[in-house]
Amino acid sequence: MNSLAPSAASQNHESFRALRAELFSHLRDAQNSEGGWPFHASGESRVEPTCWALLALANTSESSQASIARGFEFLRAQQLSDGSWPAAGGMSSGGWVTSLAALAHAQFLASEMLGAPGSLSEPGSSLSAGPVRNTIVAALQWLCDDYPRDSSRWQKFLKNFSSAKHESHNNEFRGWGWTPRTSSWVEPTSFALLAFASATAGAPGSRSEPGSFDLSPQLAKQVSERRELAVGLLYDRMCAGGGWNCGNPRVYGVDGESLILPTCWALLALRDAPDHPNRGLSLEWLQKSFAAISSPGSLAVAQITLQHYGIAVRESSRRLCQWSAADLAGQGTHVAAWSLLALNPSRHWPVPS
Amino acid sequence: MNLRNRQLIPSFARPPSRVLIRKVARYEEDLLAIIYESLREFSLPIKDKTVLLKANLVGHDPVGSMNTHPAVIAAARESFLKLGAKRVIIGDGPALDRDTQAILESVRLTEFTGCLKFGVGADFVDLNIDDVERVSLETRASLLKELYLPKTVLGADFFVSMPKLKTHHWAGVTLSMKNLFGIVPGSCYGWPKNILHWAGIDRSILDINAAARPDFVIVDGILGMEGNGPIQGNPKHTGVLLFGDDPVAADSTACRVMGLRPEKIDYLSRASTMLGHIEPSKIQQLGEPIASVRTSFAVVPAFQALRDQESK
Repeated sequence: MNSLAPSAASQNHESFRALRAELFSHLRDAQNSEGGWPFHASGESRVEPTCWALLALANTSESSQASIARGFEFLRAQQLSDGSWPAAGGMSSGGWVTSLAALAHAQFLASEMLGAPGSLSEPGSSLSAGPVRNTIVAALQWLCDDYPRDSSRWQKFLKNFSSAKHESHNNEFRGWGWTPRTSSWVEPTSFALLAFASATAGAPGSRSEPGSFDLSPQLAKQVSERRELAVGLLYDRMCAGGGWNCGNPRVYGVDGESLILPTCWALLALRDAPDHPNRGLSLEWLQKSFAAISSPGSLAVAQITLQHYGIAVRESSRRLCQWSAADLAGQGTHVAAWSLLALNPSRHWPVPS
Repeated sequence: MNLRNRQLIPSFARPPSRVLIRKVARYEEDLLAIIYESLREFSLPIKDKTVLLKANLVGHDPVGSMNTHPAVIAAARESFLKLGAKRVIIGDGPALDRDTQAILESVRLTEFTGCLKFGVGADFVDLNIDDVERVSLETRASLLKELYLPKTVLGADFFVSMPKLKTHHWAGVTLSMKNLFGIVPGSCYGWPKNILHWAGIDRSILDINAAARPDFVIVDGILGMEGNGPIQGNPKHTGVLLFGDDPVAADSTACRVMGLRPEKIDYLSRASTMLGHIEPSKIQQLGEPIASVRTSFAVVPAFQALRDQESK
């Protein structure tokens, strides 16, 4: 080998850095004038891509303070009076993206508490600690008050008369639905748990107790109760052999197949939950499935998940570099943001334990 | 013209619908020639128009019985371009897995269509994350008053529903009308779009179809699915492609091909008053007669009453 040729490792390092820089530019350029991000460039700003873009930008070392501030201004303008966020502008009721918005705000507050460079939380601004905490508390209260309908007493009563005996799960547990007053599903339940974890953990590394985040004793109790039910639901809904799909592990007696993204979100949400054999089994399933992942969105989130559990994943960043930043952004701002997070070795989300 | 400007015409005031059945034994046949010639029989108003092909892409499908086959999608795309369409967009909003790219990889769509552009000015639109617009549901068949629907669907000049021929464990069958659950955006309503289940599956199908109004139907019935569909059923070879200018008529004919009685399917029966024709006398049958391609499909126990006399 020619000793002057760059090693494969340094070439890889350079390509990671180049893709990271391109993704960063893409995200920054895709921001709309009102501060939000669309799923696709020049589209309408939406809460979900805005949250993922903010989480990704807040985890980079590049200067993006102005973008981040405008992004949070968009989120604050979108929040409904009941504390929730709508999935699309104009919708009159909140939904699953409330958890993502609460998570983004909590992460922002945590990074500010750490004294991240270029602090945005000037006293008196809407991004100072007080208003941001109030925003998060309102969102958590909405989440605690939002009970899915599938496990209500009335629904349990009705099921006694149903001839459809295809459900395999325990309806004593409750998580969250994608929209209010529907059924519990794995992904929205996981996002709510992640929001709870971020909001009640305080600054990264402090691992303070729930309630220390200016939660009233009543809200802290509600959070704790909902968390317990939701963790139970996730473990109960695991597919045979490990991993999760949307939340139907068995239909008409047939096992459902696990999917990468629901499995990752559930594992991230269960990181600090009491240990359970299903978590280990699902982690094993994800490890076994990792090599066969063919899409960048799933690859990026799987990498983040496994690394969060301290599991080294070989070649994953190199595999992400198969795609250009434009290709990744073409699949949506969320995919670009997940990829940027995955390629960032110093990310502070998900909070390292 | 786009879909938002269209009038809902009661079925009794509609002219007879046209449905064409072609025997196609295998996906390896010359699908481009078959689909092109079939579309020509309908004299479709698509010159210089934007056509949206709404496929049914569900997930990993090694047998090929779950998703609209990519060879059919690719041949339909080519055919519409050859017939003068300005642009043909393929779109879907898969119901259970938000990683649409993973689904496209698994169904090998680009192996048949060639390279597809995603994002702005796309050849393929992930309807789950498209820009949306509020649509008031005038029919109020379900409990829903409004839905936010993709602008790509609402803005298309010509909208084609391209389902797979399948039974469904909750709706009886899933054909061109049920296929429209895939235009309801997951980014607003989730994966699955559970709000539709709570609002009533049959009635939601009516509201969505009344709002989005497909212009044309191409059913992939070369290999279908019977039993516990739409995902966990068994493959069923039927060897047909079915074309129609009325979703109700096309789905009713598809049911008859499957040995099922469309009048017994709640949403089809209701749709026959406002959205199209269910009676054979109002459907001009072209191509192969139903009897020559009829294949009895198994259904889950809750839908045994759908089976016609010969299937029992």
